[in-house]
Amino acid sequence: MAYVGWLYLFSVLMAAALLFAAVFFMIMFSDLESDYINPVDLCNKLNQFVIPEHAAHGFLTVLFLLSGQWIAFLLNAPLLAFNVRKIMKQNHVYDATEIFRTLEPHKKEIFIKLGFYLLSFFFYLYSMIVALVSDTP
Amino acid sequence: MGALADQFGQMNMGQKGLRLFTTNLLTSPPEPMELRQPPPEIVLPPNSCLSQSPFANADSSYQRSTLNAIPTTNSLLNKSKIPLGLVITPYRSLKEGEDEVPVVTDTVIARCRRCRTYINPYVQFIDGGNRWRCCMCSLSNEVPQLFDWDQVRNQPGDRWARAELNHAVVEFVAPTEYMVRPPQPAVYIFLVDVSHNAIQSGMVATATRTILENLDRIPDDNGRTKVSIIAFDTSLYFFTLPSGGADSSMLVVSDIDDVFLPKPTDLLVNLQEARPALESLLGRLSDMFQDNHTIGSALGPALQAAFQLMASIGGKIIALTATLPSVGVGALKNREDPKALGTSKESGLLQAASPFYKTFAIECSRAQVSVDMFLFSSGYQDVATLAYLPHYTAGQTYFYPAFNASRTEDAIKFAHEFGKVLAMPIMLEAVMRVRASKNLRMSSFHGNFFVRSTDLLAMPAVPQDLSYAIEVQIEDTITSPFVVFQTAVLHTTCYGERRIRVITTALPTTSNLSDVFASADQVAIATLLANKAVERSITHKLEDARDALFNKMVEILSAYKASMTAAGAGASAQLAISENLKMLAVLVLGLLKNVGIRQSAQIPPDLRAYAQALLTSLPSQLLIPYVYPNFYSLHTMPPECGTVGEHGVIMPPPLPLTSERLERHGLYLIEDGQTLFLWIGRDAVPQLVMDVFNLPNYEVLRGGKTTLPVLDNPFSQRVNAIIQKTREIRRGVYHQHLYIVKEDGEPPLRLWALSCLIQDRADVLPSYQQFISQLKDKVNGSGY
Repeated sequence: MAYVGWLYLFSVLMAAALLFAAVFFMIMFSDLESDYINPVDLCNKLNQFVIPEHAAHGFLTVLFLLSGQWIAFLLNAPLLAFNVRKIMKQNHVYDATEIFRTLEPHKKEIFIKLGFYLLSFFFYLYSMIVALVSDTP
Repeated sequence: MGALADQFGQMNMGQKGLRLFTTNLLTSPPEPMELRQPPPEIVLPPNSCLSQSPFANADSSYQRSTLNAIPTTNSLLNKSKIPLGLVITPYRSLKEGEDEVPVVTDTVIARCRRCRTYINPYVQFIDGGNRWRCCMCSLSNEVPQLFDWDQVRNQPGDRWARAELNHAVVEFVAPTEYMVRPPQPAVYIFLVDVSHNAIQSGMVATATRTILENLDRIPDDNGRTKVSIIAFDTSLYFFTLPSGGADSSMLVVSDIDDVFLPKPTDLLVNLQEARPALESLLGRLSDMFQDNHTIGSALGPALQAAFQLMASIGGKIIALTATLPSVGVGALKNREDPKALGTSKESGLLQAASPFYKTFAIECSRAQVSVDMFLFSSGYQDVATLAYLPHYTAGQTYFYPAFNASRTEDAIKFAHEFGKVLAMPIMLEAVMRVRASKNLRMSSFHGNFFVRSTDLLAMPAVPQDLSYAIEVQIEDTITSPFVVFQTAVLHTTCYGERRIRVITTALPTTSNLSDVFASADQVAIATLLANKAVERSITHKLEDARDALFNKMVEILSAYKASMTAAGAGASAQLAISENLKMLAVLVLGLLKNVGIRQSAQIPPDLRAYAQALLTSLPSQLLIPYVYPNFYSLHTMPPECGTVGEHGVIMPPPLPLTSERLERHGLYLIEDGQTLFLWIGRDAVPQLVMDVFNLPNYEVLRGGKTTLPVLDNPFSQRVNAIIQKTREIRRGVYHQHLYIVKEDGEPPLRLWALSCLIQDRADVLPSYQQFISQLKDKVNGSGY
């Protein structure tokens, strides 16, 4: 079961990266609100990161599924479903023409994600330690 | 009791506040004349204005608020349930006899250091007139040195005569600090669809002829205006117009995947220098493509080509197309699905089908390019998607369904409207910002523009007579006795001058709910609600938009009942509302029955999208008849109607919109600002038919689009005068089609005309009486 420790180590790093991404999104949105950036630049910048972020999260979830880490998988599944649904409906990209109208929901979404990544970060850390401890005879 | 106490309270305080009159909707039917009343008076506290001028507060045609007394707290506003917002038409056309907007030419522009408000009649001079206190943020500012200096005559001037201290609507000539670059010339690029459909419908011939006839009217006072013509079907056709020469040559680009300009020069040319070549080209264009059998349209690539041509300058693209874009970027599919109509999927058809029309709009907005769309298709053209481009580039969409130039009326309507668009002086490279007193915040924006930052609206070109609606939030308790809203539009005129148009409205504040109700402006509320409903129908569902409208009305009535009438929370046999909001219910009913919002499975998405474009862009003056049409009885009108009186042609009194008023032998005029219907009853006497239509009797009269003959009898002349006046009375470019509707004529036309009579029951849509009783049940049931 040595790989479980590695898996969680990898997840911890990923969760940290996703956490950073979410913080970055938050900062950009508040920049937009205080007029430091215009909506066109904001959307061009953020849209580059939307797919990688979703992909990273999806990859992590699939890893948990394949390795049979059911609790971790079930934790991530709802967010994955939400992301997939957004991409299917083609509204995962930020639209500069409507950004001001949809700013509040976007901010809420990022805020929730931020909280989720933070929690999962600690969960993975805990799971990693548990796995490592149980590994050592 | 509360209301009465409030009123007494007011009187005791000696305030000149507005009196609140309660009326019962159940017993007082709508009175069309009331919609023509001016909004409730703005009663400012004494000495709030520096000037005695009657123009010190902006006219309601420029800027009006839904409430002419602003509640001091947000909770008071919420209690009234009336949405707070501004309806702004900054660039309004002027009819003959109206005063020009005064211009301040000496480039002395006094602005507040902190909030950047322009000096206006509501500031205070302090410190012996050396400083002025800003009316928005109360900061004391220095008066500029040259403020009291008459630069024309080079002598001390009279400060109190300055236009910006006497007029609420002024224009400042802007110095170079307000320029990013020297004022650019006006640029017009015509994109003409020359595919088979367009040629066959006669659109190309009519359009080129109209351009040709209006070359002199295109704004070009200093000879800098540039024009270009690009024709397209599935290829692009450029025309070189060498200056001086009379011959043009055509360059064909059939590679539409990677659009390029075939020649660096002579494509975009100076209007005056290339006039001969342009005239000969316009004369020949339609013949050149006479036998074009290509079907399909590369509108996207054509737009890109035009963009490349003008990106360095900016200006206006006028796209005329009669086909659904089918090739290249921005190609669209026919997504009209009769099964989706009337269901919750319908709003999908009103959203953009291709992201191109949004992303390209943003590019255009950055390069100061505005797009006007003229659409002519007889089949599905996806107006919804195409209209996004004008929407975000501050242009306008014009739609001529099933246009056919062989019908004179179609040709006249299009030529008239297109001619007016060409002749219209436009503002270029404009940005608009609305500032307001402390604790008031602009929260959301409706209309044709791109929101570039939290409160900056980017408009590459501002056409005349377009309306914008802005919702306002009260953030904290307002302590000042009055508040000021100031709209500033920084723009370049099409004559190459940088200017700032400033529109100032001062409104009193109140902590009294009865004042809030008494000062509500039903026309502005209806305009704001129309904008909100359209937005909701696109982001949510049409159903939601209708529910939101209905619920808003219920909320307002409930709030009024709970706080202003003796019934309080209990059930009441009345449906009370203040006198000045009496027409709001019927306006909301009109909105619910408007083509853009109505519940129906028969409205083609193109017509719906166009109606929505109108609902979000028409100024109140045009929007109100569009929602609540005018209805005149012509056979019984008083003898002086239709003759020239003191204020031009005298109009007959408008009737309430119900078919009860239709008599079988009568002749009626119904008009909604976009269309005119001449309704004739089946028992019309032959003499009437003879007098108006020059036909022996009712049977030989044919319904449909027509032009009314002017005959040599007084009645015909009066009817014609009334129709003429109806067409001219409003601002805007629209020329109304005239339809003759026979009482037993073709059902579609009859139903269309009858759908204007919104107080009637139609299908599932309630009559006014039913609507009112629905409202009453809700108001009594909800038990506030």
